[in-house]
Amino acid sequence: MSSGAIEGSGSAERLSALVDGELDSAAAAAVCESWKREAELRRSWHAYQLIGDVLRSDDLAAGAGRNVAFLVALRARLAAEPVVLAPAPLQERPPSLPIRAASAAAQRRSSRWMLGSAIAAGFMLVIGTFAVLRPGTAPAPGVPVASLAGPPPSGSNGAILREASLREASDLPGSAVVNARVIRDARLERYLAAHKQFSGSSALGVPSAFLRSSTLDADAR
Amino acid sequence: MIAPDADAPLIERVKQGDVKAFEMLVVKYQRRIERLIGRMVRDVDLVPDIAQETFIRAYRAIPQFRGDSAFYTWLYRIAVNTAKKALMELKRDPLVTEAARASRDEEDDSPRFDSELSDGATPEALLASKQIAAAVNFAIEGLSEELRQAITLREIEGLSYEEIAELMHCPIGTVRSRIFRAREAIAARLRPLLDTREGERW
Repeated sequence: MSSGAIEGSGSAERLSALVDGELDSAAAAAVCESWKREAELRRSWHAYQLIGDVLRSDDLAAGAGRNVAFLVALRARLAAEPVVLAPAPLQERPPSLPIRAASAAAQRRSSRWMLGSAIAAGFMLVIGTFAVLRPGTAPAPGVPVASLAGPPPSGSNGAILREASLREASDLPGSAVVNARVIRDARLERYLAAHKQFSGSSALGVPSAFLRSSTLDADAR
Repeated sequence: MIAPDADAPLIERVKQGDVKAFEMLVVKYQRRIERLIGRMVRDVDLVPDIAQETFIRAYRAIPQFRGDSAFYTWLYRIAVNTAKKALMELKRDPLVTEAARASRDEEDDSPRFDSELSDGATPEALLASKQIAAAVNFAIEGLSEELRQAITLREIEGLSYEEIAELMHCPIGTVRSRIFRAREAIAARLRPLLDTREGERW
């Protein structure tokens, strides 16, 4: 092992800070990205964690062999899992947000919109978590909702998204960061962004709650 | 638990679909989780399987983790529940272990995995373990006072960088640098002992 490990001391030092949780989101994202690519960083992460464990308790001392084997086996199982997504807004949000009750008409209209758009766009929206099936390659982190710049929706769809919601959505920095493999069209992007307020809560993990959240936000913020 | 959860940045990454960030957490907690499960389950062969199951269940449940407790507390509970469930299944069918062992012998695909994971108590492994503990302790003693204090306050006292900066009367950047240098000094002694032939597989 060459002492060139210290050449990337910028990234190794940031890795060390991440061990302690003392990195902001952007820097943490960058370190995770490097960890994926660089075996040296992966070895260092293991070593730093082992050092902490051993300092606290001798009986956790062990060579890396078991850890590597464990992780390699777990990776195979993780690859079979849908990627969990529970994107949280980067600012603090109030912990509980009321789910606004909407008129029955609005509910019907928006459900029809959802179904219509899903069928029309020909993509499969997995209700529940934003599950992505079979992520064979590493997900691209930090893919922002870029499609807000798209043309405004026409027809009845436009009635669902208020301008205020669009403004709010475009203010959200890097929110709705999702695996690039999720296929979405621009309208769904805006729709999801407008309902960003429900992210981070388990409401999105429940199918009926997801449908409920598709109601018209009559008093748009 | 006074300091904010050190796992928070990684959890945030996992929630954004970064599976590798979850792997980083696995690397961090595998030893502790296996030790915990080993205390509950006598059969050491079962420990890796239950630990794997624990991490899979934790991965699936991450969207529900809200940071109300520390991540490890939450993970700990999942491990305990998973181990209990495994024990109950064993009670129902004590032949499960035998059957599992038998089928593992027949399969080619992962015998090395199994022997690596089940042989934690071989003389070689115990020796390696002792050497590693000795290397860490020796390296700590060899650190300068500043570096030793910084890493001790962080790893043993669990203080945040800010708290350590106050105690040591230095800027936070210096705390971060000292802890990093302490880790690198210790890691330098450890790396020869850490199965470098496995390095590529990471």
